[in-house]
Amino acid sequence: MYPSSGSATFAGQRYDELEQPAARVGAVLEDASFHPGRSARNHLRVLALTGGHAAGRVDEVLATVGLTEAVNRRVKGYSLGMRQRLAIASALLGDPEVLILDEPTNGLDPPGISWMRELLRRQSADGRAVLVSSHVLAEVAQSVDDVVVIADGQLRAHGTLDEVLGGDDVPATEVRAQDPARLTDALERRGHSIQRDGDMLVVLDASPQRVGEIAREEHLAVLGLAPRVRTLEAAFFALTGARA
Amino acid sequence: MTRLLHAELLKLRTTRTFVALAAGAVAASLLLVILTTSLSTVDENSLRALLASSPGASFVLLLSAVGITGEWRHRTIASSILAAPDRLRLLAAKTIAYALAGVAVSLVVTASIMIAATLIVSARGEATLGLIDLADVLWRSLAVGALLGALGIGLGALLRNQIVTVTALLILGLVLEPTLVQLVPAVGRFGPTVGAPSGILDVAIDPSVEAGTLLAPGLAAAVSIGWVSATFASAAALLRGRDLI
Repeated sequence: MYPSSGSATFAGQRYDELEQPAARVGAVLEDASFHPGRSARNHLRVLALTGGHAAGRVDEVLATVGLTEAVNRRVKGYSLGMRQRLAIASALLGDPEVLILDEPTNGLDPPGISWMRELLRRQSADGRAVLVSSHVLAEVAQSVDDVVVIADGQLRAHGTLDEVLGGDDVPATEVRAQDPARLTDALERRGHSIQRDGDMLVVLDASPQRVGEIAREEHLAVLGLAPRVRTLEAAFFALTGARA
Repeated sequence: MTRLLHAELLKLRTTRTFVALAAGAVAASLLLVILTTSLSTVDENSLRALLASSPGASFVLLLSAVGITGEWRHRTIASSILAAPDRLRLLAAKTIAYALAGVAVSLVVTASIMIAATLIVSARGEATLGLIDLADVLWRSLAVGALLGALGIGLGALLRNQIVTVTALLILGLVLEPTLVQLVPAVGRFGPTVGAPSGILDVAIDPSVEAGTLLAPGLAAAVSIGWVSATFASAAALLRGRDLI
């Protein structure tokens, strides 16, 4: 697609200005498609020829994505997960420095999602920059190091996962007690602010250890105690003002 | 450019569409020639016309139109251009590849019908075409195959939708151009799928149309090249400015 404004560059160059672009940037688009009558191997042979990659890479990337057994089957017989693997193989064909994946876990079953997560980690460990675009924030949060939040075409936040999740916020603890009223009173007497979330108390500026100690001093039974974890989804809603 | 051309030729060879349409072209052409030569008496002129006007060329046009529109139908155009972002070179490689495919299909079709016709006509004790006449029909058929192969790419890239393109070509080749030749032969002979190719083949577009209607082969070739160039240029301009997804 052509941008209505702005530009995207790789090492200062537009994609179509790169020498052998598919060897610098590998991309999987959300609607990665294949000719249904062509086998996986032939699909990759065509792309290898088009992109100027060594023919030997075809079998290498097919092995990387675990499609060796199905290389000669026509793509129309592939499951969604197999197609997604083939799309990844296409992107890896040129052994690129940058990998761009749009919604890579779409349609994958749990083992497929786990495989994809592992693959992304491996590609990153091999020195590639991996850019994942996704709306499945809980899944993304398990794999990424850095996050860019874009909403309505605007950059809302960028930084490490911890920074975007609010790593600089005051610590907080979620606690469930047998007698929430007495525990609230005890915590407030010691200067802690409390927010109620259903039958759960969120204690601001206190670690779980500190909350546990206070409960023990007051001989109060605690049913659950954990540090508050902000999810990427919650961070997204907070950053964009969107509602669940 | 060479690797793009090789890639396009590999695309052609790795699906069943090419084989199916080439087989269809051979089968339809053979059927027509076998029935005509078996059931009626043919002299040298009518035999030449029969060999030169086989339906093989129509299959070439359909093959290339299906080939280029398949990139949009199966949404493979984006991955093709990701691998080769220069859209003009990609379109040029595809055009050359399908021109070569047109030559290959025309060669197989023309050789097949020449062998079949010669065997049948000889067996009936009638006059067959000499080698020079056969060679003349062959090169004209190969030229038309190449030009229609290239034309189909340009038209397909302009329309993009496979069903619309194939339907449009069928209407153009089977209805519009023949009608135009009948009603306004001075215009119809310049047509891209029937008129100008008939001039190159030097066979009457329609037996009921007066002799001399056809363009001279050289002019017909120039007109056909003009059609190919015009559709290529239009398709290239459109492809350069289009979003692909």
